Amino acid sequence: MRVLIVEDETLIAGRLAKELAQAGYAVDTAADGAQADHLAYAGEYDVVLLDLGLPKVDGLTLLRRWRASGLRWPVLILTARGSWHEKVEGIDSGADDYVAKPFRVEEVLARVRALIRRTSGATSVELHSGALTLDVRTARVTLAGEPVKLTSFEFRILSYLLHHRDRVVPRIELIDHIYAQDFDRDSNTVEVFIARLRRKLGPACVETVRGLGYRIGAV
Amino acid sequence: MLCSLRTRLIVASVLWTSGLLMLMHMLSMLVIHAFPAVRGRASYLAVFLGVVFMAAGFFAARRGLTPFHNLRQRLASVRAGDEARVQGAYPAEIHPLIEEMNGLLESREASIRRALATAGDLAHGLKTPLALLAQEAEHLRSEGHVESAETIAQQVEKMTRQVDYQLARARAASSGASGTARTLVADSAEGLIRALRKLHAGRTLSITVDLPPGLTARLQREDLDEILGNLLDNACTWAASTIRVSGVRSGQVLTILIDDDGPGLPPELRTAVLERGVRADEAAPGSGLGLAIVRDLAELYGGSIALEQSPQRGLRARLSLPVA
Repeated sequence: MRVLIVEDETLIAGRLAKELAQAGYAVDTAADGAQADHLAYAGEYDVVLLDLGLPKVDGLTLLRRWRASGLRWPVLILTARGSWHEKVEGIDSGADDYVAKPFRVEEVLARVRALIRRTSGATSVELHSGALTLDVRTARVTLAGEPVKLTSFEFRILSYLLHHRDRVVPRIELIDHIYAQDFDRDSNTVEVFIARLRRKLGPACVETVRGLGYRIGAV
Repeated sequence: MLCSLRTRLIVASVLWTSGLLMLMHMLSMLVIHAFPAVRGRASYLAVFLGVVFMAAGFFAARRGLTPFHNLRQRLASVRAGDEARVQGAYPAEIHPLIEEMNGLLESREASIRRALATAGDLAHGLKTPLALLAQEAEHLRSEGHVESAETIAQQVEKMTRQVDYQLARARAASSGASGTARTLVADSAEGLIRALRKLHAGRTLSITVDLPPGLTARLQREDLDEILGNLLDNACTWAASTIRVSGVRSGQVLTILIDDDGPGLPPELRTAVLERGVRADEAAPGSGLGLAIVRDLAELYGGSIALEQSPQRGLRARLSLPVA
């Protein structure tokens, strides 16, 4: 799962990025509207956290532009402008959720999880595949009740496949959703992580559908 | 003695007329001495014409003063918020005065707008440092300094409430001052419900709206949004599944009812939650402030808010506002 944080206050962006990375997300940050716009068209995101008062291009303008050009990922507005009039304007511009500053990081994390869940159509906070369980609140993976330790890339792959369990995920899409923008993608191939996942969770946990991509399998 | 305009006009015209009479008297003496035959017939005509002229003069003077009466009425309606500027046709002498008055109203509105923008900037400028402090508190908590973290978090929350509250107050006071606000209740409610459906998308809520068409409140749009937004959000948070918004107008007051089928609120808490700084449930952050703002905004516009038991078993918010 990959998140874009658009926030000009570097301390807030930094803290959010740290917490989100700890919770198992690949995170990109943009400090102004122009940079955000560039990243938005370049990357594939599962959620975008958007501040409204931004240098260069303001948040609502960005959001309207993204929606007009067909970008569909869920957007959570994070802003100091918390009046109801502004909330309605934000939602009408295409936002999916709205959090007013100051916020608690846990609240933002909970809303990010909820947005991802809603988008993927999952109804429960626990995702299952056979004996495998992922609790999205705690980012913990258990196999038949036993906790399994995963590295962050292994976790992202597993989480993405579980959130899209009803279809085959192309390799390129998987790559887009597990790496942050500035990450050197060549040195860590998806195949390596999937091999490690199979070692830890059993060979059947991820199916390779030849020529198409990957699908979560029943363990 | 010469303080009223009417008295001055009368005195002036009496003086003028006296002078004129003396001159006319001299003139008529000369005419009568020159042509004695004209005397009998002319006196009747003179009396008649004199009376007609006096009556015409009286009405002209009266008409001359009516623009002031109109002006007073127009000013009163500007003050009451029915009109934004002094309007109507006035005599040339009064016209510059009207222009000055409208200029004054305009510059006053502009300075209120500027003050409000400054208040808004100040409020939003404070929010980001507050957000940083809140994050710092969480960081402290995660490192085991639970007490310090708690203190900081509480103070941050207090400051946030203060900022929100004062900002809402400033906005309400300024729109009360500029006066001409009118907002279609249905417009505001529809926008909010659209937003709330998304914000509460995790829950299945049925929201029905039953508002008479054209129901208009004498409120700034932002403030009606803030009032209804807080009430509807509360209803969405607590409702089991249904929320009903209805409205009715009686005379100069419109009443909006917001019903939910949630757990409701015990009678002893219903007035307490409308007080500033009191929350019905600590688990739902901000709800207390929301209701205090609702009450304050409603009262600033001469309205009121009360919480009651809903026929749907949950809570009913009864909001009364002035009709536009």
